[in-house]
Amino acid sequence: MLEVREVVAGYGRLEVLHRVSVQVETGEIVAVIGANGAGKTTLLRVVSGLLRASNGTVLLDGVDVTRLPAERLAAAGLAHVPENRLVFPTLSVEDNLTLGGWTRRRGPRGETESQRQRALDLFPRLQTRRRQPAGTLSGGEQQMLAIARGLMARPKLLVLDEPSVGLAPKVIAEIFATLARLRDDGLTILLVEQNARAAFKVADRVYVMDRGEVAMDGNPTELLTDQRVHQAYLGGGYTA
Amino acid sequence: MSDLLQLIFSGLSIGAVYALIAVGFVAIFTVSEVINLAQGEFAALAGLVAISAVGSGMPLPVALVVAIATVTVVAVVMERVTVAPVKRLTTLTSIILTLGVSTVLKALMLLIWGPEGKGLTPFPGGDLLVFGVSIRAQELWILGIAAVVAAAVWWFYERTIVGKALRACSEQPIAARLVGISPKLATMLAFGIAGLVGAIAGVIASPVYFSSWDSGLSLGLKGFVAATLGGLVSIRGALLGGVLLGVLESLVAGYVDTGLRDAVAFVLLIVVLVVRPAGVFGRHAEARV
Amino acid sequence: MPRRGDVIGLGLFVVFCVVFPLVAPGSLVNVGVYAMIYAIAATGLSLLMGLAGQVSLGHAAFFAIGAYAQAILVTRYDLYGVLAAVVAVVIAMVVALLVGIPLLRLRGHYLALATLGLGIIVTVLATESEFTGGTSGIYGIGKPEFNSRTYDSPQEFFWLLTPFVVVAVLLARNVVQSRIGRALGAVNDSEVAAETLGVDTFRLRLQVFVLSAAYAAVSGIFFAHWLAVVNPNTANFPLSVKFLLMAVLGGLGTVWGAVIGAFGVEFLDEGMRELIPVLVPGAVGEVQLIGFGVVLVVIVVFLPGGLHQAWRMVLARVRRPSGDVSEGRAEATEDDSPVMVREGRPVAGSVLLEVRGLTKQFGGVTAVDDVTLDVRAGEILALIGPNGAGKTTCFNMVSGVLAPTSGTVKLNGVRTDGRKPHIFAQLRATRTFQNLQVFRSATVLGNVMVGRHLRARSGLLRGMLVLPARAEERAVADAAYEVVRLVGLEGERHRPAGELPFGRQRLMELARALAVEPDLLLLDEPMAGLSSSERRALARLLRRLRAGGMGIVLVEHDVEAVLALADRVAVLDDGRLIALGSPEEIRTDPAVVAAYLGVDEDDTAARAAARELAAQVEET
Repeated sequence: MLEVREVVAGYGRLEVLHRVSVQVETGEIVAVIGANGAGKTTLLRVVSGLLRASNGTVLLDGVDVTRLPAERLAAAGLAHVPENRLVFPTLSVEDNLTLGGWTRRRGPRGETESQRQRALDLFPRLQTRRRQPAGTLSGGEQQMLAIARGLMARPKLLVLDEPSVGLAPKVIAEIFATLARLRDDGLTILLVEQNARAAFKVADRVYVMDRGEVAMDGNPTELLTDQRVHQAYLGGGYTA
Repeated sequence: MSDLLQLIFSGLSIGAVYALIAVGFVAIFTVSEVINLAQGEFAALAGLVAISAVGSGMPLPVALVVAIATVTVVAVVMERVTVAPVKRLTTLTSIILTLGVSTVLKALMLLIWGPEGKGLTPFPGGDLLVFGVSIRAQELWILGIAAVVAAAVWWFYERTIVGKALRACSEQPIAARLVGISPKLATMLAFGIAGLVGAIAGVIASPVYFSSWDSGLSLGLKGFVAATLGGLVSIRGALLGGVLLGVLESLVAGYVDTGLRDAVAFVLLIVVLVVRPAGVFGRHAEARV
Repeated sequence: MPRRGDVIGLGLFVVFCVVFPLVAPGSLVNVGVYAMIYAIAATGLSLLMGLAGQVSLGHAAFFAIGAYAQAILVTRYDLYGVLAAVVAVVIAMVVALLVGIPLLRLRGHYLALATLGLGIIVTVLATESEFTGGTSGIYGIGKPEFNSRTYDSPQEFFWLLTPFVVVAVLLARNVVQSRIGRALGAVNDSEVAAETLGVDTFRLRLQVFVLSAAYAAVSGIFFAHWLAVVNPNTANFPLSVKFLLMAVLGGLGTVWGAVIGAFGVEFLDEGMRELIPVLVPGAVGEVQLIGFGVVLVVIVVFLPGGLHQAWRMVLARVRRPSGDVSEGRAEATEDDSPVMVREGRPVAGSVLLEVRGLTKQFGGVTAVDDVTLDVRAGEILALIGPNGAGKTTCFNMVSGVLAPTSGTVKLNGVRTDGRKPHIFAQLRATRTFQNLQVFRSATVLGNVMVGRHLRARSGLLRGMLVLPARAEERAVADAAYEVVRLVGLEGERHRPAGELPFGRQRLMELARALAVEPDLLLLDEPMAGLSSSERRALARLLRRLRAGGMGIVLVEHDVEAVLALADRVAVLDDGRLIALGSPEEIRTDPAVVAAYLGVDEDDTAARAAARELAAQVEET
C-alpha cells in the first residue's frame, strides 16, 4: 500500500532522514518507533506532503505521490492524524467530522451523514459531545476526534503521529484497540509512536528508527526483548 | 436630547459602513495574514461604477449588482495577480504590496472619473422624523442592508461548510491542509468575500457619503481600526468595532470639533493597541508561542 | 573602516552633484532639487525599514512637522534659520518618541497603520488650525543665506543640498555598521536570539524611529526654504507613498539605495506628468500615482530587494566566484584546561539559578507542571525526557522567551520570570536554540560579535560619528575572535553564517552565546546533527567551561552522552519532574525507564517489565 524508498529529507541545512525505506502492506498496522530526534515525525511529514523530500520516492498504492502537496493527499487516499491532534477548536465535533470529509463533500447526499454516524459509533464518547466545540474536549477525546476526522475521507491509508502523547494508559489502550478493529475491517495503518510498549501490542510489524535511519525492523514479539531496541532509546549507539 | 440621538444615529449609519469594511480585513487576515490596504478602494470603486452604470441608463438595482460583481472580480484578480505569486509574504510586505495596488486603483479611478466626488442616486424611500431625529431614507437602507449582510456573513461562517472550512484554515492551517483544504483557494475566496462586502459598503454609502478616487483612504483606515477592535481575527468584533467607531466619531464631531473627526480613529487605534492588543471585542487571545 | 565600494560610490555621487546642475536643462535641475530634498527623508525611512524592520506609512507627517515648524519659527518668530532648524527637528523627534513608545512594542503592522493615521492627523490639524495658517498655510519663507550669499537658483540650491545629502547618507551608513546596526541586523534575522544575547529590541527600534523622523524633518526644512510656502498639501498621503517607494526601489537598508530611489522616483514622476496628458487627454490631478503603484507591486513581486538586489545580481554574474574564504580548519586541541574563567563569578557550588514551582498552561493543557530545581555554578545539569515532556518550554520560561503561568525563576537572587530575555542576558545568562537561530545576513565573526553587545556601550550617536566608538569596536572584534578561536571556527570566521554546514553552525551559536561571558548557559540540544567526533569535541569544551566555573544546563536526547557528561540529571515526563539525581541513579530508575519506553494499561505488568529492563541495563 505504501512504499517509502530511500528518502532523504530535512530542514534547511539539517538532514534528518538519511535514505529511509519503509513498507506498509495492505491491511496491516505498521509502527515506527524510536527516540526523539530519530526522525519519525519527519518521515510522516514527508509521506503526507507537509515536507518535501530532497531525494527518494513515496508510492501510495502504486502511485507516485512524492511531489504532491499535503492538501492533495487527502483526495489521493491518505489521511494523516497529526501530532497534537490539531482539531479545529471552535468548530463542533460534528463540524470537525464533516470537514474531515471535505474531499468527498460532492458525493451522494447522506453519505457524509452516514460516515459521521459510523465514526461516532466507533467512538461512543464523542456521540454525547457531538455539538460541543472541539477545543473543550479532553485530550483523549480530541485524539479520538482527530482519528475519526481522518476516517471521514474513507482513506486507503491512515497515518497517525504519536497518538498516545499526553494520554492516560487506559485511554491509550482504548484507542489502540479501536485501531486494531479498524485494521481487522481492512484499513491499512502507519503509526509513529514513542510509547513502544503500546505500539508493540497493536502492530503487525515494527520499524525502529535511530538518528534518521531505520535501525531494524521485524515482528513485535521478537523485538520486545531485543537489547538493541532498548539501546535505541536509552543510548548506546554513542560510540566513545 | 434629540441632538444626541441625531448624532448617535448618524454615527450608527457611518459605523455600519465601517463595520462592513472591517469584515473584509478580518476575512483576509484570518486566512492568510495579509493586511489588505486596498480594502477602502473596493468600496470607493463600487460606488463609482454604480454611478456610471446608473448614468448609462441602467436601473438602480441592476447597477448595484454590476458594481458589486465588478469589484468582487477585481478583488479576486488582485489576489491571483499580486498576492499569490509572492513566495514568502510577510504581513509587512503584504502592506507594501496592497498599498501599491490601492495606489494603482486610486489613480485609475482618478483617470476615469476625475477628481470630483460623486453621489449615487439615493435608494427609494422618504425621509422620516422620529423623536426629533431626522432620518434619511438612505441611512435606513444602510443600516438595513448592513444588518442583512452581517447576518449573511455570520450565517456563512457558522452554517455553511465552506465558511467552516475557512475558519478551519485560520485556526489550524496544518490540519486544514491534511483534510484537503487548499490554502491558496482559501485565500482567493477570502479576497472575494472582502471584495463583495467592501463593494456593498461602497454602494450603500455612496448616496450619503459620496464616492471619489480618494475616499477609499479614509474608509480603509477606519475599517482597519474597527477590525483591530476585534483583534483582527473576530468578525463579531469587527462589526461591533465599526459601529463603536462610527458613533464615537459622530459624538466627537458634534460636541467637540467637526475637524477632529478623523482624529478619533487614530486615537482609538492607539488606545486599543496599548491597552488591549488582542482587541476589545475579540475572543480570548490564545497564546501562540 | 570605509570600504572601497563606499568610497567609490561617494566619489561618483559628489562628481555627479557638481556636474549635473552645470549640464542639465533648468527644468531637470529643478526636478533634481526635489530629488535631493526628498532623498534625505527617504534615507531615514530606508534605515527604519531596513534596519528596524518597521514600515512607516505616514512619514510625510514628520516631513510636514519639520516644514511647518521651520516656517513658523522663521516667519513668525524671526528665529535665525539654523537655530529654527534645530528646534524643528527636535519637535519632530519628540512626536516620533510619543508615537513610537506605545506602538513599537507591538507587531509591525500596527505601527504601519498607526503612522498612516498619524499622517492623516497631521494633515487635518494643519488644515484646521489657525496657528498653522489653515488651508493657505505659511508663506514668505526666505531662501537660505550664508556668507551673504543667497541660494535661490536651482543650481545653487542643488549644490547647497549636496553636502547635507552626503552627510545624511554617511551617518546612515555609519549606523548600519555600528554596534546598533549590528544588533538590529541580528533582530531582523532572529529577534528571539538577539534578545537572548542582550539586545533590547524595543529601545533600539525606538531610537532608529526617532532618527528617521529627524531625517524627514530636515527634508521638510529644506523644502520650506525652497518652496517658500508650506501648506497642508505639502505633506499628504501621496508623499508618504513616494517616500516608501523611494526606499523600496533603492533597496531597504542599503546606504545609497534611497538616494538613487529618490532620483528615480522624481524623474519617474516628472516623466509621467509629461506623458499621461498626452496618452489620456484631460487627465487631471495626481494620476502619476498609477506609475508609483505599479512600480511598488512589481518590486515586491519580482525584485523585493530593490535596485540594490538587481545590482548584486549583475555583480554576481560579472565577478568570478572568489576562492574559498576559509583558511582551513583548525586542529582539534587536546587541551583540557579550564576556560572562560571570570573574576567575580559566583563561587563553584553556589546556587546560580533557582526554579520554584514553574508551571505553564496553554488553554486546558498543562505543558509544565510545578517544576522545582536548582542549578549551581561549576556543574552541568542535564534535562532529559520523552517528547512533549516540556523541556524546551522550561527553557523558554527560564530564559524569558515565555512567561510562566505560575512559579518563580531567580538568577543570583534576582527574579527573572516573566521578564524579557535581554534582562536574562544582562544578568549573565544566555541560551542556544534547538532549531538554530543563525543570523544569516552576517558572517561567523559577525554573529559572535552580536554576543558582545552587552560588553560594549556605544549608542546611536557614537555609532554615527564612528570615531568615539572605534576603540570599543576593535575590542569587540578582538574578543569575538578569541571565542571563535576557542571553539575552532577561526578558519571560517569570514564566511557567511548561512553557508556553514549544520554542525559548524551549532558551534557558532555556542560561540555566540559564550561571547556574552555568561555565568549560566542553557543549551537546547547542542549535539543534534553533530558527528561523533564533533560530539566528543563539544563534550570536552563543556567540561572545560565547567572547570572554569560556568553553570550549564543541557537538554539532550543523546542520553548516553548526557549521562557521561552531566553531574546531575533531571528527568521530565508529561511536564512533571519525575527524577533528579546523579546519572547512575537516573539510569537505573524504573520510572525513568518506563517514561521512555512507554507504559501499558496494566500497571503491574509495566512495573515488572520496567524492573526487568532495568535489570537488563544493569547487566550491560
